[in-house]
Amino acid sequence: MNFDPNLIRNFSIIAHIDHGKSTLADRMMELTDTVAKRDMEEQLLDSMDIERERGITIKASAVRMFYHHTDGKTYMFNLIDTPGHVDFNYEVSRALAACEGAVLVVDATQGIEAQTLANVYLAVDNGLEVLPVVNKVDLPSAEPERVIHEIEDVIGIPAEDAPCISAKTGQNVGEVLARIVDAVPAPTGDPDAPLKALIFDCFYDNYKGALSYVRVFDGTVKAGTRIRSMATGNEFDVTEVGVFAPTWKPVDSLTAGEVGYVAASIKSVAETKVGDTITEANRPAKEALPGYKQANSMVFCGVYPADGAHYDDLKEALDKLKLNDASLSYEHETSAALGYGFRCGFLGLLHMEIITERLEREFDLDLVTTAPSVVYHVYTLDGRKLVIDNPTNLPNAAEIDYMEEPIVKATIMTPSEYVGSIMELCQNNRGTFIDMQYIEADRVNLHYVLPLNEIIYDFFDSLKSRSRGYASFDYELSGYARSELVRLDFLLNGEMCDALSTIVHKDRAYAKGRAVAEKLKDVIPRQQFEIPVQAAIGSKIIARETVKAVRKDVLAKCYGGDITRKKKLLEKQKEGKKRMRQVGSVAVPSDAFMSVLRING
Amino acid sequence: MIGVYVHIPYCLKKCRYCDFCSIPVDETAGRYRAALETEIALSGAKYPGERVKTVFFGGGTPTVLPAEDLCAILGAIRNTFAVEPDAEISIECNPKTIGFNGLKRLFDAGFNRLSIGLQATQNDLLSRIGRVHTYEEFLVTYAAARDAGFTNINVDLMHGLPGQGQADYLDAIRTVAALEPTHISAYSLILEEETPLYDDVMHGRETLPDADAVADMEDAGMDLLDALGYRRYEVSNFAMSGFECRHNLIYWHNEPYLGLGVAAHSSMVEDGFWVRFSNERSIPAYLKKIGKGKLPRAERIITNTFEQMFESVMLGLRLVKGIDRAAFSDRFGCDVIETYRSAYDKNDRYGFWDHSDPDFLRLNRIGMDHLDSVLRDFRERRLIDFLR
Repeated sequence: MNFDPNLIRNFSIIAHIDHGKSTLADRMMELTDTVAKRDMEEQLLDSMDIERERGITIKASAVRMFYHHTDGKTYMFNLIDTPGHVDFNYEVSRALAACEGAVLVVDATQGIEAQTLANVYLAVDNGLEVLPVVNKVDLPSAEPERVIHEIEDVIGIPAEDAPCISAKTGQNVGEVLARIVDAVPAPTGDPDAPLKALIFDCFYDNYKGALSYVRVFDGTVKAGTRIRSMATGNEFDVTEVGVFAPTWKPVDSLTAGEVGYVAASIKSVAETKVGDTITEANRPAKEALPGYKQANSMVFCGVYPADGAHYDDLKEALDKLKLNDASLSYEHETSAALGYGFRCGFLGLLHMEIITERLEREFDLDLVTTAPSVVYHVYTLDGRKLVIDNPTNLPNAAEIDYMEEPIVKATIMTPSEYVGSIMELCQNNRGTFIDMQYIEADRVNLHYVLPLNEIIYDFFDSLKSRSRGYASFDYELSGYARSELVRLDFLLNGEMCDALSTIVHKDRAYAKGRAVAEKLKDVIPRQQFEIPVQAAIGSKIIARETVKAVRKDVLAKCYGGDITRKKKLLEKQKEGKKRMRQVGSVAVPSDAFMSVLRING
Repeated sequence: MIGVYVHIPYCLKKCRYCDFCSIPVDETAGRYRAALETEIALSGAKYPGERVKTVFFGGGTPTVLPAEDLCAILGAIRNTFAVEPDAEISIECNPKTIGFNGLKRLFDAGFNRLSIGLQATQNDLLSRIGRVHTYEEFLVTYAAARDAGFTNINVDLMHGLPGQGQADYLDAIRTVAALEPTHISAYSLILEEETPLYDDVMHGRETLPDADAVADMEDAGMDLLDALGYRRYEVSNFAMSGFECRHNLIYWHNEPYLGLGVAAHSSMVEDGFWVRFSNERSIPAYLKKIGKGKLPRAERIITNTFEQMFESVMLGLRLVKGIDRAAFSDRFGCDVIETYRSAYDKNDRYGFWDHSDPDFLRLNRIGMDHLDSVLRDFRERRLIDFLR
């Protein structure tokens, strides 16, 4: 027996990091008895350690709740979680496409942030009803009226009767549930039509294989259904369908309007593509749901084991992460400086940091990561177009006709007092000013066009420090533009270190070369001999620093009682040396390859 | 033939940089002599008739004990072991802890080498590192030692002290050399954890000269000592010809020695095995074991040939003369350079070896400045490869 679609509400919560999305979700689950308070892990929707620490959600999931409304009816709520970061823009858009409505949570002490705004626009673009909610009204610094005004001014939706809540204390959360029934439309769809289900997330389970989280728009799916991916044409037999309430619970079927998971013995999440439409193999839908895109890596970096002997361990770890993260790409590469490793592609910077951190934390690997690179288009004089994601592969300058680099449209929201400093930062990073809107008397929304390669190193950190943490930032790729780019190389003791090479704009090369050489001088420990550190474009040296030789590396006293201790000390020093990479004759600390590129803008 | 080391763990007051086993004199000092005499008797039973070529009383400050006790302890050693007639018998002292009468007693009892802790000749520098004496008080002790008959005298100096400039250090060397001691030890201050000075430096209450300044001081000091007739024979030790400390050479030649007293370390041959052991580190624990008539051992490890070889390298390369290749092959049955070929070659590329005498593996002065990194390379040699 199917649940009456008129009593189903599918919605997401849109919120900036730390504005209380997960806490609100927890309260909703408690109030609907989806989960007993005592069983509640703090913030159930965020399952991974790293997500918790960073206060963000990486993988979307969906929870089914039953809400007993004051009208006497019981409603099925499907709360679809969305990732909260710019790198996962596409995933967010698919999660939102699975909903009819969105609860917009705004922190009463902070106001709207760039990220929130981007996601609200996505929701509106997807035709969602937006229900604004003002959170953290229990805090002394809360200014709910100001925030309500801001929502109306900036987003242009009525907010005068937005529930003012405290997800932390539970204050007024019941009102949010009641308002969802009224504000969010019931799903429409034909349960008897050919199956059309949108994959909005996927997850790998050791026993069930790759699971697809789906929203069924038309038709019905159940165990035994032979399904077909409309993007790839691959077919699978469904082994189980179920819902999360809040953990796995198999159900007989998922029907038009419902949200749940589909298991079909799929080996890897790479085969279940977010945005794809699932249909029945025997009775396929005529056309797929709109909006499917292949996720493309925007940022690349070399990932190497700090100890070359752990190459296989790194490969195994990447294979495992890939099971659960279709947007991660990697292929083997070899560096003269770092040996065997992988060129990894990421959706963005945060994605890159999360993956490298997970590799180190969950798989206990010591890694060396090289400076991130974007994907350049290189047009050679002989008429070829090359796609370059590793500076090492850039052809000789003499062979290049011209190059193009990726450009992003950036939105920066900031208190107006920091505008000057932030504009300067954008200017320094080759930004082109588009416009500036006053959201309120003291808050502005800045639009810039920026080269992606200028924002992948330290732009975000600089933005935060220039605005004392108040500015927020969002970007989307807006294509490629022709640019004067050169490869900047670094030589240690006369030998080029390929892992440090980077592609930069011609006008920035000198400053960058000097800054990096200086930084290298500081991070490379003194060794037995003097080490020249040089920056070069082609064969031209543009900067030079010197790491002076160690003067004294000898213990002054060593008598009878010191011998055992001295041996232990030598062992300890040797361990320290293991964290270094030998680049030619020079020992370089593992983190140098990345840290040198964090040059403050 | 062994060396005997006797540790006296008492001082008038602990210096701010010191992490040695020493405490201010307390009521245990009265029982310490008897405890040592017991340990000597127990050791004599374990190593009967052992021949002794050097004896070294170190600390702490041995001379905070009455000279009578020190003489009695030496007497016990002589009665128990076969101390050679020409044995070098050294004792450390600090100014203000002993006068002419005490020194005379020591000399008459057979102590023939005195090592005086001075560290600096500037009184402000001395007080900054927590020394309890002045330069003038050192001079009194030095003159008394000469009068008592000591002709073989070492003076300890330090560089890299808080507030010390190169001129201060060179002045100290000149001033001390003018007194013509036979031996000068010139140490670079080692900032050890768990010392008051370490805390002060970590909390910014005290600053040390930077590493380059210390290196400059050390280099200039070495040149000056050489010019004044003190030949460097070990990393931090300088002597007039023929007055190298024979006891310390035992350590650097990786020869056997027996340590007596609290926290003392030993390296002895027992039933054909080389064994390193150490005594209890705290005075109560030491006294307790002695009280039960037991040797006060805390740790004991057998050193295999591979470790002995490395220790011989680690210690031997501290000597300016280096490692006697023939002696090394006699002891271990292999050539030191061939055994550590890759470490040798690597450091040869750095130009760290002195090739003037093919019979010795010897670092040059620059190489000796990098001794620890050289040793890390030698340590890369693994037992498993050696066995193959």
